[in-house]
Amino acid sequence: MTAKREVYVLGGYMTDFARNWTKENKHFSALMREAVLGALERTGIAPEEIESAHVGNFAAELYCMQGHLGAFFTEVHPAFSGLPTSRHEAACASGSIALLAAGAEIEAGRYDLQAVVGIEQMKTVSAAQGGSYLGTAAWYDQEAKGVEFPFPKLFGRLGDEYDKRYGLKDEHLAEISKINYANAKKNPNAQTRTWYMNKEHALCRTDDNPAVGGRIRIADCSQVTDGAVCVFLASREYAEKFAKGTGRKLAGIPRIKGWGHHTARLRFDDKVAESKSDRYVLPHVRSTITDAWKRAGIADVSGVDAIETHDCFTTSEYMAIDHFGITEPGESWKAVEAGWLEIDGQHPINPSGGLIGAGHPVGATGVRQLLDATWQVTGEAGDYQVEGARNVQTLNIGGSGTTSVSFIVGV
Amino acid sequence: MPGSDGSPESAAEIRRLLASRKIERVVVLGANGTMGFGAAALFTQAVPEVIFLARSKSKAEEGLGEAIRQVRSPTVASRAVVGDYDHDLGKAVAGADLIFEALTEDFDVKKAMFDRVEEARRDDSIVATVTSGLSINELCKNRSQSFRRNFLGLHFFNPPNVIVGTELIAGRHTDPAVVDFVEAFARATLGREIVRTHDTPAFAGNRVGFKVLNEAAQLAEQIGPLLVDRIIGPYTGRALTPLATIDLVGWDIHRAIVDNVYENTNDEAHETLKLPAYMDKLMEKGVLGNKTGRGFFWKEGKVRHVLDPLTGDYRPESVLRLPRLSYIDEVANLYSQARYAEGMQAFLAADGDEAALARKVIAGYISYAFLRVGEVTDTIDGIDRIMGAGFNWAPPSVLVDTMGAVSAVRLIEEAGLAVPEALSRAVRTGEPKRFFRDRRVNTGKFFVAS
Repeated sequence: MTAKREVYVLGGYMTDFARNWTKENKHFSALMREAVLGALERTGIAPEEIESAHVGNFAAELYCMQGHLGAFFTEVHPAFSGLPTSRHEAACASGSIALLAAGAEIEAGRYDLQAVVGIEQMKTVSAAQGGSYLGTAAWYDQEAKGVEFPFPKLFGRLGDEYDKRYGLKDEHLAEISKINYANAKKNPNAQTRTWYMNKEHALCRTDDNPAVGGRIRIADCSQVTDGAVCVFLASREYAEKFAKGTGRKLAGIPRIKGWGHHTARLRFDDKVAESKSDRYVLPHVRSTITDAWKRAGIADVSGVDAIETHDCFTTSEYMAIDHFGITEPGESWKAVEAGWLEIDGQHPINPSGGLIGAGHPVGATGVRQLLDATWQVTGEAGDYQVEGARNVQTLNIGGSGTTSVSFIVGV
Repeated sequence: MPGSDGSPESAAEIRRLLASRKIERVVVLGANGTMGFGAAALFTQAVPEVIFLARSKSKAEEGLGEAIRQVRSPTVASRAVVGDYDHDLGKAVAGADLIFEALTEDFDVKKAMFDRVEEARRDDSIVATVTSGLSINELCKNRSQSFRRNFLGLHFFNPPNVIVGTELIAGRHTDPAVVDFVEAFARATLGREIVRTHDTPAFAGNRVGFKVLNEAAQLAEQIGPLLVDRIIGPYTGRALTPLATIDLVGWDIHRAIVDNVYENTNDEAHETLKLPAYMDKLMEKGVLGNKTGRGFFWKEGKVRHVLDPLTGDYRPESVLRLPRLSYIDEVANLYSQARYAEGMQAFLAADGDEAALARKVIAGYISYAFLRVGEVTDTIDGIDRIMGAGFNWAPPSVLVDTMGAVSAVRLIEEAGLAVPEALSRAVRTGEPKRFFRDRRVNTGKFFVAS
């Protein structure tokens, strides 16, 4: 299952996830422009070098009344006019799907340098309206229509399923929230870096932390975020040239060592019914993770130094902990209690703050995770750097555990 | 920014510093004031016990109530203890790892409090003052060696739960290890953006920021507040317009800051720091900004009224006529597509007296900031970061980078102001290509499209 040709990550740029582009009176295209021009500047790559672009986005048609997002890439710079571009959608995994497509084209030898942009502008509508749009990532008619905030409810049920099979305590979910918020304070582009949070707050049951769906409270949720992220993927040939030009060795340029990608049935009930006799609540998520290990030649989670996972809710991170094999199935709480998930713990999860702390511009999240993984392995993560990280794994999930993608980025 | 002006460079270094000592108990003195309860609320996120002290226990309780409201968390109370100076100060200070002084900006009041702190504190506790302008060296003069070694300024901007920019000011005798530890603690656990400044009047942020604000207040006398806030508006690189900012800060605070700078400095822009006489006069009548309802602007229901600085009267905004400033629409339209460089060029090329006046203020901001390097901070980085993270203004370097050094020099020359050597050199040599060095910051966020 080894990739035919290697895919390198040359770096990139993210917008500040605390920004509200509607308040700044800025158009969707401005978000893309800042991310792409920022990435060119930060990496020193000339615009003329880009050969193709892939855009990951979930629902600009709904949030911004705008489709055809691949074409917007050509608006960023005159040199981009005429480039082959495309747009990819898989709900909250859209960004990772764009990355997979770009990587596949490099593996196939079609192009040597690709831009991948993940983008979502969400603060254009009210919370309730946005919640309803997000419901289209589920089977809308059957799971979301007429339901206020359908996704917190679906992921509340993931918690309920754990509770039923293994038992689940709110204090462990609160600790997950606390760690993500605390890490976000070290990340200058995290949405919640100024927000007040501690474990007591995450556990408090007052109007300051209201329930939004079953056991899910505000402190358990990821954020409504405007954001765009751009990374450059390259072939070995281009990466060699890039390394030489920036005075580095090829070995110091991160590459995608492995990937996994599976899609489960859409409805949450069907997923749970399928996994009834499985050790894992979401077996296709588990396969996504283990496929990435196999392709990277890694035996298990001890081969990765940090994880950027999809904590759209605290329950999804709780699920990720045992699916990554950090603990036995149903025992994620042990890792929480032992402090393993903190930046200096033995299995750091979401040093960036994750979706809860850094924010969750839906279509951008997968690309943001890959960029954070890249910064970790090149030592560019600043105050949220995991010391000595050489291999970092991502897990990006669309829907209620439906589309899962994982990458291992390493040097 | 890691590694800037003596700041710890790496996450590993921050972790080492954090492990070097513990902050488990913080005492906040003056916990009923805006800065006192704001800071106390922040501390409760990271510290197990925060003691709110005020003149009376009921005042301290008021402060706690405000702290809870400000961060909207009932959990503040679970880590808070309240008390008053006469009954509780001695014991609280003796048990504290960090003593945070947030009393009124009065040298003698603070000095008297430090007498009491000195008597009660342990030799190893840190004492921080949140003063926004008084000299750190003067405040600890003639105190014990252990006090001076552990004393520093930690200047939060209001409200601290929203504004992360924070100035850290060491005195001549402050132990560098204490400075490094406080920076690590504030960065990693309080989410602060720390800028190290020198012990100069109003430090870096207020020195540069209030120069611009005061110049806007001076201009209001000539062209009226509405036009001032239009021409030095969001398109010049700020979310909040200058006179609305003075109303928010409070006219009395504005006066305290500019008077302090005017009296204790003598730089090339001295006269722009002189408080306009009309402000003094109107303050006697209770015009203090938002806190009294009336400032440059006064909102009556949904109707906004605008001050006439000459008469002290207010007129509804709707009856005031502004000149048609189409260049601002053009700039905003370019910004809305993230075409910031083009927008800036449109501003620089715009015809009319208003555009020229706006350019003069922006030229003054850039020139003043660059000429303060060495005096208020070691490098332009610190001024840039505090203007960005403390004022939410486009940092001077970001403006220079966006317009280009050649345009920046021309702008300053046209305004008849002193051209800083760093900018002339950039024109001569082409270096540096960019002045703004903090690559973590999105510079586009400062250019609001309106």
